[in-house]
Parts: sequence; structure tokens; C-alpha cells
Amino acid sequence: MKTPVKTAASVLPYIWAAMFIVVVWQLVVVFTQAHVALLPPPLLAATTFAEMIVTGELFVHAGASLGRVVLAWLLSALVAIPLGLAMGRWRRFEHMVDPVVELFRPISPLAWIPLAILWFGIGESGKIFIIFIATFFPILLNTVSGVKGVDPVLIRAGQVLGCETDRALFQKVILPAAMPTIIVGLRISFGTGWAAIIAAELVAAQVGLGYLIADGMEVLRSDLVLVGMVAIGILGVLIDAVFRQLNNRFSWGT
Amino acid sequence: MADNPTQAMNTKGISISELSVTFHPEGSEPVEALRPTSLEFEPGEFIALVGPSGCGKSTLLNVLAGFIKPTAGQAFVGGKAVTKPDIDHGMVFQDYALFPWLNVIDNVAFGLERQGMGKDERHARAREYLDMVGLKDFAEKHVTQLSGGMKQRVAIARVFATDPSIILMDEPFGALDALTRRFLQHQLLEIWQRNRKTVVFVTHSVQEAVYLASRVVVMTARPGRIKLDQAIDIPHPRDFSSEAFRRMEKLIYDQLDEELAKTFKLEGGGGTFHD
Repeated sequence: MKTPVKTAASVLPYIWAAMFIVVVWQLVVVFTQAHVALLPPPLLAATTFAEMIVTGELFVHAGASLGRVVLAWLLSALVAIPLGLAMGRWRRFEHMVDPVVELFRPISPLAWIPLAILWFGIGESGKIFIIFIATFFPILLNTVSGVKGVDPVLIRAGQVLGCETDRALFQKVILPAAMPTIIVGLRISFGTGWAAIIAAELVAAQVGLGYLIADGMEVLRSDLVLVGMVAIGILGVLIDAVFRQLNNRFSWGT
Repeated sequence: MADNPTQAMNTKGISISELSVTFHPEGSEPVEALRPTSLEFEPGEFIALVGPSGCGKSTLLNVLAGFIKPTAGQAFVGGKAVTKPDIDHGMVFQDYALFPWLNVIDNVAFGLERQGMGKDERHARAREYLDMVGLKDFAEKHVTQLSGGMKQRVAIARVFATDPSIILMDEPFGALDALTRRFLQHQLLEIWQRNRKTVVFVTHSVQEAVYLASRVVVMTARPGRIKLDQAIDIPHPRDFSSEAFRRMEKLIYDQLDEELAKTFKLEGGGGTFHD
């Protein structure tokens, strides 16, 4: 499939981008003479980054954030995909549910943070709740459009080839036909979930990359803040790469 | 059904009695697609349905497939009323309708799996039918890698593999170029001669109808009725340029031309008739 040369070619732009950022960063430090507590030079941030990898502290924070997102995202998929399949297939049902969806959709998941803290306290469930909301709509809307986009002739073909029940039709025709679009929804929603977890952890957490950033600010360690931010960026890119692979596997050459 | 994979001889007749279809599109006048029509097709007949666009031949086919409920009257397959789609009423679509997420062999085996056949058995049988359409070597290919003609051959293998008692074909070669079309007509005829299903074949091409069918049914301009019901008893293989073939073509064209004239008059007169 992928040759080493191709992989190198796809990583190279990211290396250039990183180098560019480091150069600008260093220039800003040099020209503004910024205090180290406000903006540390790249070298200091890199040292802190390396230290936190060696001690394993960074993995603990990253793991905590990632774990929350994965769990909430899976729960979200478990609800949003079946609901989206039903909405896409039965117009009557869609007409009933859609207004509710449209009312909730414009509300940023971050607006739910106060209620989440009131309802669930600062434990895990509050953050899971926030990410659930952040990931729900992209999965739902993509599933609905995926199902609506299924070529009607494929449904007819399924029916004359022995899919007599709705269940068989869903399992054998509609779900696989809608899969590429559903995967897109899963990918987008992981991104929105990843963005929202940091916000949720900024407010209330004892561990996680968002907590690392908030804590760095409170103890005036901007290098910790930057390490947290860099980790978020790198993980975001890596996760998206995984999804792109998944996407290729499900897109059956169209 | 389908007890012996190699000797598929399941076939039934079709009976249509006083069948009519009227569509009620939202916000516009009802459209009478099919006037009350009665027809009897014997088991193993190859029927070509010919008529101007919008004459209701596809509507009739969709009723036989169970996709459309008739407004009045009924269609029977082997004496049983058609009420819903059934694997025993196979269908070949104009745009192939292959499942793009499955490879060639799993497309052919799709119906067999629904009939409850185990993986090894259905793959063996699917291979047999792929061989029949000359695509044995393409079993593992992805359907997106095939040309249009190959896709339709896969679809033909897929429908014959499940051993239905009737096969409905909705302009199956309409999207193919002339040479591919000629090749597929020939191949379909060979398969049908070895495997005498009742076939109902909708086409725009009079030549195709006369070449393939044992009986040609010409329908009138909308609302559709039977204009001509003509047996074709020219022996196979039929020669396009033979005297008998040309005479038959002319007979059918003469009937069709009258209907085409009506269609154009209707369209010219402000009527909006479309497929």
C-alpha cells in the first residue's frame, strides 16, 4: 500500500510547518524580550516536553484526555448512528425529530459546561457528557445524509435479492452503502470532541491536557502551557491520520 | 426452491388481469400510467416489451417486481399474486445496481447468502455463474474496476444464480455501446436457451426485441395499453439481415410509429409527458 517514500513525503510538510513555527517563536522571544514566565523560548519548552515524556507525566495527561474522548465518542456513535439511520430512512420520523435536533445543534458544547458541573460535579461523567454533546451532531447529521444518499436502485436490488425485512435491508444494503459518509461524521466528530475536551478540562479536572494547561497558567509555567498545546496539536494530527486510513478502506474507490 | 445448483430449471408463468396503475403525484393531476391490461406469459417465454417513452412498460415491470402496487387488477406469478419484492422474481437494472462495497463474487453470492447458503457453497455456485458470463477470472476484483458491460454481466450472473422463476430486465443494455450491447445480447440468449426462465425484457430497441424475444409486446403511448402482441418464431441464431427478421422489424416499427406520432402530438399540444 504505502511506500516509505510516500510516507516521508506526507510527513515532510508537517516538519516544514514545525520549523517555521519554531523560527517565528524564537524571533518573537528575541525581539520582544518576553519574560520567561509569559513566553519561554522554544528550547526551554522542548526540554520540558522531553522531561515530561521521560517521566511519563505527559502520557498520563494525554491518556486521560484521549480516554475521555474515545469513551464519549463511542457512546455518542452508539446513539447517533441508529437514530440517524432511522431519520434517514423514515421521513415521518425525521420530521418529528429534526426540529429538536435543529434547536440543540447551534448550542456550543461549551455552553453545557456549567450545567454539566452542576449536574455531575467535576468527576468524569461531566466531561463525558460534554464530549457526548460535542460529538453527537456531526455523527447524526452525516448518518442521516449518508442514508438519504443511498442510491434507491441499490435498495431495490437488495429487496429483489432477498432482503425482505427492514432489518436485513439496513444490515446488508443501507448501512454499508452509507458507511463512507458515516465514517466522515465519525472523523469530524472526533475532532470536535478533541477540541471540546480541552475546554472541559480547563474548567474542572485533576488530570488531562486541558488541566496541564490550566495548571501551567496558575503556577506561571508557560512552558507547561505550551507543552500541553503542542501535545494537543500533535495528537490531533495523528488521530486524523488514523481516520484517513480508515476512510480509504471504506471508500471503495469512488 | 434452488435445491440443485447445477440444474436450475425453476420457471413460472405470469398472468396479468385487468391491471391498471394511476399515479397521484403531490400537487398535480393524477397520471394514468397503465390502462387496464390483461396478458398471459407462458413459463419459459422470452417477452420483449417495446413502446414509446413513458408508455408504462417500466411501470408494468415494477408492478411485476412488487415495487409498485397496482391501482386495480392484479399480477400473478405461477398463480400467486405479487404483493411485494421477492427473491423468486429476479431483476436486472439498467444501471447494474451492483453493491460497490462488495467484490464481484460477493455481489453474485449476495442473494445466495440471503437464501441461507453457506460461504463455501455460495462461492462455488457464484463462480459457476461467473464462468457462465465469462468473468471467472474477475471474481476477486472490485466492481468499480469493471467496465459497464462487465458490470451488467455480473448482474446477470447474480440474478441467474439465485434461480428465480421469472427474470425482469429493465433496459439492461440501454447504457452500453453498440458493440458491447451486441455481445451481451448474444450471451444472454445463450444463457436463456440453457436456462429457460420466463424473461420480461423492456427495451427501446426493436432490433433487440426481435433478436432476443420469443414474443414481442408493443405498448401504446401513455396511458399504456397493448397495441400488438406478436410471437417471433424465427429460429435462433437470428440474422439481422435476413428477410424474415426485417419483415418482423417492419411490422413492429409500423405499429410503433403510430404511437410515436401520438406521443409527439401530445407533447406538442402542451402535455408534459416524461419518463
